[in-house]
Formats: sequence, structure tokens, C-alpha cells
Amino acid sequence: MAETSAKPPLAGRLVYRHNRITRLTHWLSALALMILFMSGLQIFNAHPYLYWGSTSDPDKAFFSIGASQNDDDVRGFINFYGRKLDTTGFLGVQQGVFGPQARGFPSWLTVPGYYSLAAARRWHFFFGWLFAITGVFYLLYNLPVGHVRKFFFTPHDIKKVPAMAAYYLRVRKTSPQEGEYNPLQKMAYTGVFVVLAPLILLSGMTMSPQLNIAFHWLPALFGGSQSARAIHFILAFGFLFFALGHIFMVLTQGFLNNMRSMTSGWYKEKIPIVIETRRAASSPRGTPVSSEQEAEKSNETES
Amino acid sequence: MKLNPKLSRRNLLIGALQGASLVLLSGCEKLFDSLSQNKKIQSLLEIAENGSRRAQRLVTARNKLAKEFDAKDISPKFRANGNPPPITMDYTTDAQNHWTKWRLEVSGLIKQPASFSLADLKSMPSRTQITRHDCVEGWSVIGKWKGVRLEEIINRVQPGTDARYVVFRCMDTDSDGVNYFESIDMIDAVHPQTILAYELNDQPLPIDNGAPLRLRVENQLGYKHAKYIRALEFVSSLNKIGQGKGGYWEDQGYEWYAGI
Repeated sequence: MAETSAKPPLAGRLVYRHNRITRLTHWLSALALMILFMSGLQIFNAHPYLYWGSTSDPDKAFFSIGASQNDDDVRGFINFYGRKLDTTGFLGVQQGVFGPQARGFPSWLTVPGYYSLAAARRWHFFFGWLFAITGVFYLLYNLPVGHVRKFFFTPHDIKKVPAMAAYYLRVRKTSPQEGEYNPLQKMAYTGVFVVLAPLILLSGMTMSPQLNIAFHWLPALFGGSQSARAIHFILAFGFLFFALGHIFMVLTQGFLNNMRSMTSGWYKEKIPIVIETRRAASSPRGTPVSSEQEAEKSNETES
Repeated sequence: MKLNPKLSRRNLLIGALQGASLVLLSGCEKLFDSLSQNKKIQSLLEIAENGSRRAQRLVTARNKLAKEFDAKDISPKFRANGNPPPITMDYTTDAQNHWTKWRLEVSGLIKQPASFSLADLKSMPSRTQITRHDCVEGWSVIGKWKGVRLEEIINRVQPGTDARYVVFRCMDTDSDGVNYFESIDMIDAVHPQTILAYELNDQPLPIDNGAPLRLRVENQLGYKHAKYIRALEFVSSLNKIGQGKGGYWEDQGYEWYAGI
């Protein structure tokens, strides 16, 4: 184990926050997740119903997107446990060249836009592999250098959550943040790494007949292959929720600074924090703070 | 004057973002539509299919069985999908005669070409299994199947070492008159649960579900399970079968390996 040391508090200085593997895998995952989400909606459109259990008794779907026709009036709707909500104009029905067509998610949300289950599957599986391999690559590189530890949510962080939430809600004026990542960031990223990503991969694998043979525990884990399909769908929206929150924070908490840190690696600290580094592997480029870079940056204003 | 490197990077970044959102907002659908139809992109994406097949076979023991369910799990209705049943005179007459005239022709790279009546197949050792059927569309049903193991037929016709695939020739056609066909390789063909089924839920195989004989290949999705079979052909390559992709749906762009 490398010896750990505490660097003096930093504010307004550039720190090398994201190593090149983190940056590369971040953008690859972002691309993969976008295509996975959109091709997944196209795959869902082939059978826009969700069930619990192993089979799909049409009367027992707990969620569905459908269309109903009354003379010339075609209405789209979603049905959630028997409660219907009219979604005409968005879900269930879409205006096509030949008039309204029944269609779960609209073409502008799916990959490809035209109806093709076969093409959507090809996109989905290619980027599913890419997403999984990217994740493994990220962990193999970053676990040994202690990068993941910096944003890993621990029981120690729980009691700091209210103060941080109060700061974000503008109830509290000063940020209670101590380390490189605040407790709410840790919560979000740890949730993605420990819950969302593993479960969405496993629930996706559970829909494979061959993997059902290889790993009988897979369908058992999710309560049947149809349950796995439903959970996979729900987790996809968990990812969407995370991505929207993530993008909102990037846009509002210093957009250019955040974009710089995820493209060049260098992040300008806004508040005095202490960075704990492992001396042996603080950053691939050597010291975590470059004085040259710092001087160069001194007259730049925060966006 | 020396260009400020930071400024140009910032401009580049802003430009890239503007471009990205433009693509996202207006051209995303068109972009992915044209990419989906691009031959080079298609073959790039197909890398994943081979990867899935190799990886999944690597982690699956050869003779490991798919889960077999209890009688109480059987779905009330076994949903039928795909082409409507054949409507040719031969087919309807054979059905009326309880398939006494129907024969399964077996040909190709085998030492003992043969043909079997339904009675022949039923007199061979049978296997009964209650398994889950997963459609590529996303729905699943559970049914009880009885049939003869494909390996039983293979042992009788003795394929040569050059026989790599079994092609299933079917009697159903699409609206353009194209006959259904499918293929699996010898690894899946000799799996203990790969059967030519003639019974569903203790009844003779219904017409909707592929009478008189259909394939069950439990490690793959529904479209591999050829219905209305009339002949088996052992081949060394799929190139000259149909449009060369190994199956009716494969010719429409679906994966040949449907274990995922």
C-alpha cells in the first residue's frame, strides 16, 4: 500500500482531477448510454408491455403503452396498474406519412428512428459490450490508484448529507464540502457504480436464453426473466434521471471548469479542500498541482 | 499576434457543444437512420454478435440444461407468432389425414439419407420438457413439449465431419411467398433439449404452433424454433441457403446467433 499524505488546502488552484483513462471512459460511457437508452426504447416498442414473473400473460401487464381508435380519432395512452393516462402526441401514437400510427416511444427518441427491431438489437448489443468493457477497463485502472475511493460513499458521509443538501437548496450559504467530492456527489456516483450499472447489466443478461442456461441464478435473482425485463427498463430510466441531474449540475456549477476537467483533466477548485493522495500514485503526470498551469490560469475568470 | 491557446480551446469546446446539440436536436434521428442502413456500420455492429456467441458459449457447459418448469407454470395459451399456417392443398390435406402422408426428408452431407413418417418419429425414444419460450419481441410463454431429440436423428443419418449446420426447411411462407427456413450448428443440434416436437401440452402439435413438427432449441430466441418442418439438410456452409444468412429472419437483418 502506498503511503497517504494530506496536501494543504486548495482553492482557486488547478488540480489534476481526472486521469486520461477516466476521461476516455467517461465519454465512451456517455455515448454508449445514450445509444443504449434510445435503441432500448425501440426494442421495448416491439412489445410495449411490462410484467412481473417468468411469463407474459397479456392481461397481467403492469405497464403498457398503447393506442385506441374511435373512428378517425386515434389516442395514445399509458396504462399503469389499470390506471390510464392519455399521452396522445407523445406516447402510443405518432403521426406518420400515412396518418397516425400506433407506436410506443416516438421515432425521435429511438435508434433507429424507423421501426426496426433487428437494427435496434444490433446497436444495443454492440454498445452494451462497449459499456461493459469500458466499465471493467475503468475499474482495473482506477481501483489500484485509489481514484474510486475519492467519491465512494461510506457510512461516514451519511451525516454530512443534510448540510450539503441545504447548501444546494440555498438554505446554507457556505459549502460544507471537505474533500474533492461532496457527500451528495458521492451518493450519486456510488449509486451508479454499485447499484445502477451492475444491475442493468445483470438484468439485461437475464433476458438472454443462453445465459439463463449458463447461470440459473440470474432469472432467480430478479424473480423471472420478465421481471428482469421490467427492472432493466426501470433502471434505464434511473440512468436517464442520473444523466439529467449530472448534466444540470455540470451546467450550473461552473460549466467550463467542469468541461475542462473532463477533457484536459484539470479542475479549478472553488473552495478550500484537502486532497488526500497516495504518494506513489497521485497522478500519472506526477504532481497533482502544476504551478506552471496555475500561473497560466491566474487571470482567467470563473464562468 | 499569438493565439491564446486557452481561448481557442474554449472556442473549440463551445463549437463542439453547439454542434453536438444541433446533431442531437435536429439530426439525431436522421443520423442514426442512415448509420443503421450503412453497410460498414452494420458489419461493425455485427462484431458484437460473434462476441456474444463466443462469450456465452464459453461460460455455458455443453450439456447444461435450460430450466424446466412445473406443470402449474404452463401458460394458459401458447402464443403463436410469425407467418400464418400454410394454406397449400398438400398441407391442408395432410392435416386432414392426421399427417399419415407427411414425411420428414433428411438429406445433405450424411452417410444415410433417410425419410421418416410421423409414426417413425413417435416410435423413437422421446423427451418431454416444460420450458420457457422467449420471443425476440420481448414476451415469454411456458409450454410442455414432447418430441424426438435431434441427436437421435443425427445418429441415424450419420453426418460427415464436413457437416457443420442443420438447415430446417419449412412449409410456411410469408406474404411474398418466401419459404421459412432456419439453421443451427452441430453444437446446438446435439444439445439434450434440442428436440423435434410433435406434442404441445399433451396434445398433438396444433397447426398454429407448427404442426406436424417443429424445432425446440432452448438456448435461443423464438425465431430459431422453425415450425411446419418438412426437411432437414446437413450443410457445410450457409452461404448458398436463402440470401446466405442462415435463416428467414436472418435475411431480414436479425442475428443468426439468437442466444441473446
